[in-house]
Amino acid sequence: MILGIDIGGTHTDAVCLDGRGIQATAKAATGEDLVDSILEVVHRLGIDYTALSRVVLSTTLSTNAIVEKKYAPTGMIVSAGPGIDPRGYFLTDAFLLVKGAMDHRGREYVPLDPEQVKAAAGTLKAKGIHGLGVVSKFSVRNPAHETAMAALLEKDFRYLSMGHTMSGSLNFPRRMRTTYFNTAVMPVQERFVESVQKALTKLGIHAPLFFLKADGGTFASSAADRLPVETILSGPAASMMGALALNSHTKGAAFVFDVGGTTTDMGILVNGLPILEPGGVDIGGVKTLVRGLKVMSVGAGGDSCICLEEGALRVGPHRSGPPACMGGNSPTPMDAFTALGESTPGDARKALEALAPLAGQRGIAVDELCREIISVMAENIRQKAIAFVDEVNSHPVYTIFEMLHPEIVKPERAILIGGPARLLKPFMEESLGMECEVPEHFMVANALGAALARTTAQITLMADTQMRRIVCPELHMEKEAPSTLSIEDLKSIGIRALHDHAHILGISDEIEINVIEEQSFNMVRGFNTVGRNMRVKIQTTPGILPLWREQ
Amino acid sequence: MMEAKKKTGLIFFPAYDWEISPTHPERKERLLYTQDQVLEEGVLDIEGIREFKAGLATEHDIGRAHFCVPDVGSRITESHNVSAGGCIEAARLVLEGVVDNAFALVRPPGHHAMRVVHGSRGFCNINIEAVMVEWVRRHHSRIKKIAIVDTDCHHGDGTQDVYWHDPDVLYISIHQDGRTLYPGSGFPDEYGGPNAAGMTLNIPLPPRTSDEGMLHVMEEVVMPVIDDFKPDLIINSAGQDNHYSDPITNMSFTAGGYARLNDMLSPHICVLEGGYSIESALPYVNTGIILALAGADYSYVREPDLDPEKIRQDPRITEYIKRLSGQILTLWRTRAGLRPERREFMERSRSIYYDTDGISENQNEVFRFCDACPGVFKLDSAASTGYHILGIHIPHGACPACRDRGQSWYEKPGGHYYAVYLQDMDQDLYMVRRM
Repeated sequence: MILGIDIGGTHTDAVCLDGRGIQATAKAATGEDLVDSILEVVHRLGIDYTALSRVVLSTTLSTNAIVEKKYAPTGMIVSAGPGIDPRGYFLTDAFLLVKGAMDHRGREYVPLDPEQVKAAAGTLKAKGIHGLGVVSKFSVRNPAHETAMAALLEKDFRYLSMGHTMSGSLNFPRRMRTTYFNTAVMPVQERFVESVQKALTKLGIHAPLFFLKADGGTFASSAADRLPVETILSGPAASMMGALALNSHTKGAAFVFDVGGTTTDMGILVNGLPILEPGGVDIGGVKTLVRGLKVMSVGAGGDSCICLEEGALRVGPHRSGPPACMGGNSPTPMDAFTALGESTPGDARKALEALAPLAGQRGIAVDELCREIISVMAENIRQKAIAFVDEVNSHPVYTIFEMLHPEIVKPERAILIGGPARLLKPFMEESLGMECEVPEHFMVANALGAALARTTAQITLMADTQMRRIVCPELHMEKEAPSTLSIEDLKSIGIRALHDHAHILGISDEIEINVIEEQSFNMVRGFNTVGRNMRVKIQTTPGILPLWREQ
Repeated sequence: MMEAKKKTGLIFFPAYDWEISPTHPERKERLLYTQDQVLEEGVLDIEGIREFKAGLATEHDIGRAHFCVPDVGSRITESHNVSAGGCIEAARLVLEGVVDNAFALVRPPGHHAMRVVHGSRGFCNINIEAVMVEWVRRHHSRIKKIAIVDTDCHHGDGTQDVYWHDPDVLYISIHQDGRTLYPGSGFPDEYGGPNAAGMTLNIPLPPRTSDEGMLHVMEEVVMPVIDDFKPDLIINSAGQDNHYSDPITNMSFTAGGYARLNDMLSPHICVLEGGYSIESALPYVNTGIILALAGADYSYVREPDLDPEKIRQDPRITEYIKRLSGQILTLWRTRAGLRPERREFMERSRSIYYDTDGISENQNEVFRFCDACPGVFKLDSAASTGYHILGIHIPHGACPACRDRGQSWYEKPGGHYYAVYLQDMDQDLYMVRRM
């Protein structure tokens, strides 16, 4: 049996399931102490703890720590060399620049100065800093400077992250910030895991603990200790994966709308997999290298405020408190549902009272106004959905083949989840002109998504046969490349490495591996081919655990 | 925090699946390290800089600039559709106000492709700037005057040819002296046709000219001429083979110099042309150009192996460039006097060699020296491939007499041609008649 727990801002949901389906669900309010909230919701499930084979958590812990800057002071030592001035990207005065530079092929042209690195570390330690990130430009091509800095300083800092292990993708400013955030949330994650483990053990739960990541996959808590930054934005990931699990189709493209109080989060599923954000996700307005799902938020939810602007009805994008039917001061779409006689937890009389003046101003009946409000809300969502699809389809391509054979994403269905989903469905169907599905158990979609998400990992391999080097940053692996190395050889090396290092990446059970990107270039200097430059990205297939599909 | 003062669009199309041949300089690998550098520097994350998808130029778009022999389809590959389409997309973004300026970082290049295309010259099949410029004139009629500043190390003989008779397109080429480099043309006395005298300016620089010489030419010639001409649109044909590390040229420019050049020129659109130092120059030059276009700080962009002493410009070169700059500026200012004595028809004959494809062409041009419009002309072109064609160009703003003359040339071409072509710019009509 798998236990999935989604700790959201207001509610903590839990779902317990096995190959036969959902066995129990529960809900609790999210309190100050997340561990208490977990214990409360687990208690409410009333299940046999010994039957659990795995526990998966989706938490806002690291997201909140980063957004609210609730973390211990963290230091960064950075080497960059020429290019864009790296100091423009420093987030605090605990980012220190040292000498050292690599080029795009990973050739060192300015060596590191160990004394300068030690002096920088001394400055940080004097500030009482215990967490350090080390980053160099092009470290994913040659991690030597990061590795050397880490070797020099590992005894001096309790928490240490190296930039190249965050992601194999190029992007030095994002690498700096990702490494910074990762180091910053390491103590937060460590404390959390410790107390969760203790609490679960006390209950008699000995199943391994997993965390949901931004990419809609999970990883073992041992890997989360090392890369806690991957757990940011797992909320939207949970809802997308939940929708994926609950949806009855696996072919074609579909929108997912998770309708909440303040916003509606949307994503797109294509052939049973969610679309990813190409460069990495943003957190608190800062761009990172964290692989995550492409989601867009629309300021349209059950609690969106409603007003008249130059005679036109506006819904959202802001929320100004709870709906009138729940004790708030101003009308919201939730009041419109309530006034229409839908079953909501609200007070219909209060909803009507709040809506009547607006109906008067418009000179229409209240129920007509209610339908208009919900139509406007659905229309707002539709417009953003169109822009979202356009954005997905305008992604640049770099080969003639892709230019001439574009893969156009064209959603044909929608899946609605979240509180007001069922009430909104007919309006969304009319607005979008497509079938909208509100799956059973949509209220616990997030916990279900967490429970059922497969473990995921991605690695990048770069081979330069002229320099005789193979680098796999995520696995902190370097190998000598034979001059005869082919792209097929490189793929085999990558696949084998992914299997061999599964424990480091925190992946387990039934992994399927696929190569998602491969490029091979002859390197020509003068008129001779002097080597091959090859790049491969390999991942474990994301998605929903097979046990669920086999039901 | 890194920020852009201008909104800059980037069309990046490295055509990773296209090459002239596996060991040709114009190969799949060409923009790989540029992409690496641009991505690693986080350039695309800078607020204000945005990447857009390339488009596809149609046969009709190409027909505005070229007579392709025997036809468009056989003279180009899909990669040319995309590189020209990428330029068009860059222009569209600028003219529709989506961005302030744009850089079409595309390949293959185009500035050696002339109006008649029998094959590939200097790695170019179609002139991607000309296809773009003609698209602009067709779709944005408010754009009347256009300046193309070609900073590729090789003379842009193709662009010069396409706009030779065009009084509304100022073509300035700064390049390594043709006595020392392909294509061997581009001297100051090539200054445009009778009705466009002075609208072509060639500034041939001696080998080993450095940033100092290039920037002197920018300050003392290009900028004063541009200020005087007041173009509605400025284009930089941004070849990057003046770089000190380029394997097939002999100049000494740096990435910093290219960035300053673009900062000074402030073009609406940059188009990548040549540049084959794919590891040591392109990554840094392109990063510098993008930052300069965006109005962002490029002062730290520098090649890892840069040694300013090694590429310092010889004082004799400095003197030479100062003199040359004075002469070119004078030529521009006295261009009214360059118009030849008027005769109704003027003829010229040329031999053109297509080095990439090994084709020879003999061309005879008859130009109507009109005082009411830019003037109609026809090109009689016979190539070693056996094709012999006649191409007639009725220019933008053609007068009735020139239009009639062009029509009658098209209807009664005389001679034995494989096909007769007509470009009617005002009607946006491009016709081919097989004979």
